[in-house]
Amino acid sequence: MMEYAITICEGPTCIGRHADRLRAILLEELAKRGLKDHVRINISGCLGMCHKGPFLVVNPGYTIYGGVTESDIPVIVEEHIVKDRPIARLAVQEDHLFNRFYRIFGDVGFFGKQMRITLRNCGIIDPENIDDYLALRGYEALAKVLTEMTPQQVIAEVKQSGLRGRGGAGFPTGLKWELTAKQPGPEKYVICNADEGDPGAFMDRSAIEGDPHTILEGMIIGGYAIGSNHGIVYIRAEYPLAVRRLEIAIQQARQHNLLGKGILGTNFDFDIEIRLGAGAFVCGEETALIQSIEGARGMPRPRPPFPATSGLFGKPTLINNVETWANIPVIILEGAKWFSSIGTETSKGTKVFALAGCVVNTGLVEVPMGTTIRQVVYDIGGGIPGGKRLTAVQTGGPSGGCLPESYLDTPVDYESLAKAGSIMGSGGMIVMDETACMVDVARFFLEFTQSESCGKCTPCREGTKRMLEILERIVQGKGRPGDIERLERLGNMIKKASLCGLGQSAPNPVLSTIRHFRDEYQQHIEQKRCPAGVCKALLTYTITDACVGCGACKKVCPVGAISGTKKEKHVIDQAKCIRCGQCYTTCKFNAISRS
Amino acid sequence: MVTPLDLIRKKRAEAVSRIIGKGYLAAKRVYVGMATCEIAAGSKEVMEVFKQAIAKGIVKDVYLSQKGCAGRCNLEPTVEVIETGKMPVRYGRIDADKARQIIEKHLKGGQVIEEWVIG
Ligand SMILES: Cc1cc2nc3c(=O)[nH]c(=O)nc-3n(C[C@H](O)[C@H](O)[C@H](O)COP(=O)(O)O)c2cc1C
Repeated sequence: MMEYAITICEGPTCIGRHADRLRAILLEELAKRGLKDHVRINISGCLGMCHKGPFLVVNPGYTIYGGVTESDIPVIVEEHIVKDRPIARLAVQEDHLFNRFYRIFGDVGFFGKQMRITLRNCGIIDPENIDDYLALRGYEALAKVLTEMTPQQVIAEVKQSGLRGRGGAGFPTGLKWELTAKQPGPEKYVICNADEGDPGAFMDRSAIEGDPHTILEGMIIGGYAIGSNHGIVYIRAEYPLAVRRLEIAIQQARQHNLLGKGILGTNFDFDIEIRLGAGAFVCGEETALIQSIEGARGMPRPRPPFPATSGLFGKPTLINNVETWANIPVIILEGAKWFSSIGTETSKGTKVFALAGCVVNTGLVEVPMGTTIRQVVYDIGGGIPGGKRLTAVQTGGPSGGCLPESYLDTPVDYESLAKAGSIMGSGGMIVMDETACMVDVARFFLEFTQSESCGKCTPCREGTKRMLEILERIVQGKGRPGDIERLERLGNMIKKASLCGLGQSAPNPVLSTIRHFRDEYQQHIEQKRCPAGVCKALLTYTITDACVGCGACKKVCPVGAISGTKKEKHVIDQAKCIRCGQCYTTCKFNAISRS
Repeated sequence: MVTPLDLIRKKRAEAVSRIIGKGYLAAKRVYVGMATCEIAAGSKEVMEVFKQAIAKGIVKDVYLSQKGCAGRCNLEPTVEVIETGKMPVRYGRIDADKARQIIEKHLKGGQVIEEWVIG
């Protein structure tokens, strides 16, 4: 067991100040003193304290040394590592909200390369106890806003931070707040969109379950900024634990006078209620969501008017995603200037991804915008298990697309992902290896959007159905010449003519796979071949000369398609074979080929 | 005049003292992941084992708390043992039986069970 872990920040700024040189000197110093086995060195991405760089974090104890020079290294080793006496002169005393997990998880590679702003308390505090949140500067941002900022100043701060909506579309948050604030009238609403309907996405659920008060605090600040007294969290009933934790959090916040009348002794009133959704994907779309809260069937309506001018019950409504809200307290306390130093030119801050699929470390990941997909998949995700080859990375769920290996260096930001043919979306990231068939993946996502289409507008209702029919015949081996072009034409039409974002993005999985994996489609249609060996109807199983005649395949075949005498090569009757693949997985001699 | 900031500072101080009152300064702190994903993987049983051990006085001077999902989906349920002055230890894929062993070997015997540690 290591006794110490030293994390060196090698973000761009710290590298510019020769953090890598410090690492070399540190390694040398430790080797010289025979301490190599007692200290673990970790490299982290940007830790967000650039003004103090280069710096090191020593654990246990979470001592941060800032502005470290080459000559400080031997002193740190001698005093802190050998004598266990932290050096006050070099230590940085700052109580930041972000990266709190470093104390506990900083020396684990999976966590060390992340930057946690919205998930700052997830996995650290007890989400059912407001004391844990209060102890970590909880509701201080709200108090700061109520003490020393006007609503206009709050909006200016959010605008300056460069924060954009995390629910998918990436609309500038500050601008949305400003538009809603400008509307006349005393009655306005604040909504947190926690519908999270993308298959495979669990960012918002985890954020609420791990740290519900952050969302509430963000919403109260939003209410103050736009002049609203009424907040609603719209969350799907399929998230019972998240709902319960929200209920507990709301109750506790009321007891502490953080919700309700005259918050913290001021004359500002604000309360939050929970509305449960029945789990339709389209109800995540803001206008459909509003209809659903109103008690009507969840269907989108044309915009404008946008919710900012006419939303819930026709009143001005501010609607933001869970992750968007979770950023607000940090922006208020750490400042817009700090927040906008993280990320890229057009995309500020961090993004949470639900990393899943064929990757060693699946899980919830938060990285600064601009991190490349390769870094997420390999540095944090640990790469592809079983020595397999990566085929594609899917982002944006059913509204997004598949990017091939050659696009792995695409940075995660709204514009770069869109340019590559996918979208940022709400944060699903599925890694696929060579066993995934791109045509089948596209069919899977389209099947989802087709069945979730609300049916209000024709392009989405009829168009997705027709596209799905074409995809289904392709994977059945009945693809026709011209099908690819038909898919492209239909897809572009649906994108242009649909009423809401569901239809406007539904063709993306198909169009992006055609763009990047056209040859796979061609093989399916022209040669009736599925290169990944997924599409059942296109597979042929044959027995090779490696067969020893053990009879195992004959036994498992459910339709009796295999015949042969013991100790002699067996054969498969192709007319009877249903291509279930059981013989293929049973054979111990690799004597069954699939093509 | 008392400002909201003054009020919140007071609330924080009170919260901290309540947390300490519950035994936060104990020599060992144990955290069990209790999000939907962790519970699905079996963390409720794990939590129960630790609760029982503390209730029955099998271990003393231990602060037990739940926490949300830290993000290691493939290694759940997770349990952290944090001791002052030592590197935090994070265990992955813990079940009730392993929890009992953590109590015996780590909490009582002071020995980290390396093979379950997430590195
Ligand atoms: C079909 C569809 C589903 C959506 N689902 C969600 C969702 O689950 N959560 C969410 O925050 N936004 C979702 N959106 C986006 C919302 O319409 C809206 O843009 C968002 O809530 C605005 O918040 P933001 O600016 O913070 O991102 C969805 C949009 C569409 C078209």
